[in-house]
Amino acid sequence: MELGAYLAVSAVLFVLGMAMAAARRSLIYVLMGLELILNAANINLVAFARFKPEIGLDGQIGAIFVIILAAAEAAIGLAIVLNVYSRFGTIRPDDIDELRQ
Amino acid sequence: MSRTDLTALSPLLVVALAAVAVLLLISVRRNHRATATLTLAGLVLGLVSISWAATVTPHQVAPLLIADGYALFYSALVLAAAVVVCLLSFDYLEQRGEQREEFYVLLLLATLGGLVLVGASHFVTLFLGLEILSVAIYVMVAYARSSPLAAETGIKYLVLAGASSAFLVFGMALVYAQTGTLEFRPLVAQLSAIEGSGLALPGMALMLVGVGFKLAVVPFHMWTPEVYQGAPAPVTAFVATVSKGAMFALLLRFFAALGPGEARPLLVVLGLVAMASILAGNLLALLEQNIKRLLAFSSIAHLGYVLVAFLASSAFGDEAVTFYLVAYFVSTLAAFGVVTVLSDNEREAERIEDYRGLFWRRPLLATLMTGALLSLAGIPLTTGFVGKFAVVAAGVEASLWLPVSVLALGSAIGLYYYLRLVVVMLSSLDAGAATESAADSGRTPADPGQTPAWPRAARVGGGAALALGLLALLLLGLGLYPGPLMDVIESSVSPLR
Repeated sequence: MELGAYLAVSAVLFVLGMAMAAARRSLIYVLMGLELILNAANINLVAFARFKPEIGLDGQIGAIFVIILAAAEAAIGLAIVLNVYSRFGTIRPDDIDELRQ
Repeated sequence: MSRTDLTALSPLLVVALAAVAVLLLISVRRNHRATATLTLAGLVLGLVSISWAATVTPHQVAPLLIADGYALFYSALVLAAAVVVCLLSFDYLEQRGEQREEFYVLLLLATLGGLVLVGASHFVTLFLGLEILSVAIYVMVAYARSSPLAAETGIKYLVLAGASSAFLVFGMALVYAQTGTLEFRPLVAQLSAIEGSGLALPGMALMLVGVGFKLAVVPFHMWTPEVYQGAPAPVTAFVATVSKGAMFALLLRFFAALGPGEARPLLVVLGLVAMASILAGNLLALLEQNIKRLLAFSSIAHLGYVLVAFLASSAFGDEAVTFYLVAYFVSTLAAFGVVTVLSDNEREAERIEDYRGLFWRRPLLATLMTGALLSLAGIPLTTGFVGKFAVVAAGVEASLWLPVSVLALGSAIGLYYYLRLVVVMLSSLDAGAATESAADSGRTPADPGQTPAWPRAARVGGGAALALGLLALLLLGLGLYPGPLMDVIESSVSPLR
């Protein structure tokens, strides 16, 4: 496989993630969209580290950090989504608007 | 890890250990006072350990973190701000019946994230620090679960901050593709070596989106008023200072290492961002009736001012940025400190009407608030004036005429709404009662002799009083004698260029 193929997958994932987050259908979708963007970045990091062996393992290690931190973010995110659900009875972002203006 | 490494990292280690210790203490016994005291001890110990770390500077720990004078100066700033927030939070949380102890774990973790961020010399530590800081702040923003706005504010902040860190990471991956390294110094060397920028420029642009969000500069500022309004007042103070200051410290470190050729296109963009932030922040603040939102808009403008000094990209510009950030920290913490102590468990003292006649009811608090507002406006004798003077001087030195004139215009607009608030605090109580009874005539008008129903919070607790006293001292002290701090800043930013 060529490096270009990985980059294409990563670009597609990035666009899908953006679209999911921007569509604002549900908070869970938004969080999933963000995960997709992070994983697109991970594919890039790992692919570059693999196809340019002279540059070492920075990318691979970086991807591991991103995975760990994304998990932490998702855990907190879902906890807050639960809070939102118990308060508003919905997780559609557009319905959650009590703040003034 | 060598001994020197551990010494250089001692502030980080102390704060991390304090977080674990507080967590253990909570699991053994819930006691608000003990938890707060332990947190405070951890933060103060962290501050003390900076002088220990200073004995080995400059020291690079692996390729990940650097402990130089610059990192230590900003570490001290972050820790000092955390101490103030901790003192303010104690009385604030004491009034509220919810589970209070975990807040301090989050405060320590967020501070730790800030410390990692200011010492980062590698993209991985940048992201690590940013996420430790942000994830802790997500929870702090949504902490007051009984408050109707908490969950909503939390989710709004979470979605936008999550999106911005995702952009940041994607940008990092692109920069990595071009340069083959994630380490600042070799990365910068690579950037100047390669012909054409290729993927690096879009990568840097995506990273700037992430950074711009954290700094809340136009066009990434939309979250600021809502989060400032919905978060508990001490948390707002923390978000306004530590999170922005640590990010700015990192931005400055990265750009200072970047050569003028590579930085140019990005600096043009940042120039536009600075001017847009100054104008939008000040104009939006004009009509605001809510103090927390007003301070949010004013903080957008202030980050624009700091960016003007940043654009100068000179050693003097770095000093101006650092001094302005210190001044901004002091004034913002003082302003939110007053909001915090005036709030009671029913709602926060956030309406401008709450401050009517404050001078006649709470003279000390009103004086401090006035000092903070005048400092934010940049009136002489306050630390904000010295900061703004340094920023303008740096801008003029670099012949940035357009940004400097926008800054002057913005400050003039700013004067209006800061002084409006001061006038409200000076005006007599009767005027307020009259407008109130006019507004809703169905209610019985308040007795002129009685103290108004709001704000009720009677006494300022010891911790908060200590914090506010210190801030008042700094507000005036740094305005009158900026020399010693200037000298410290001058030596601490010298490793940058």
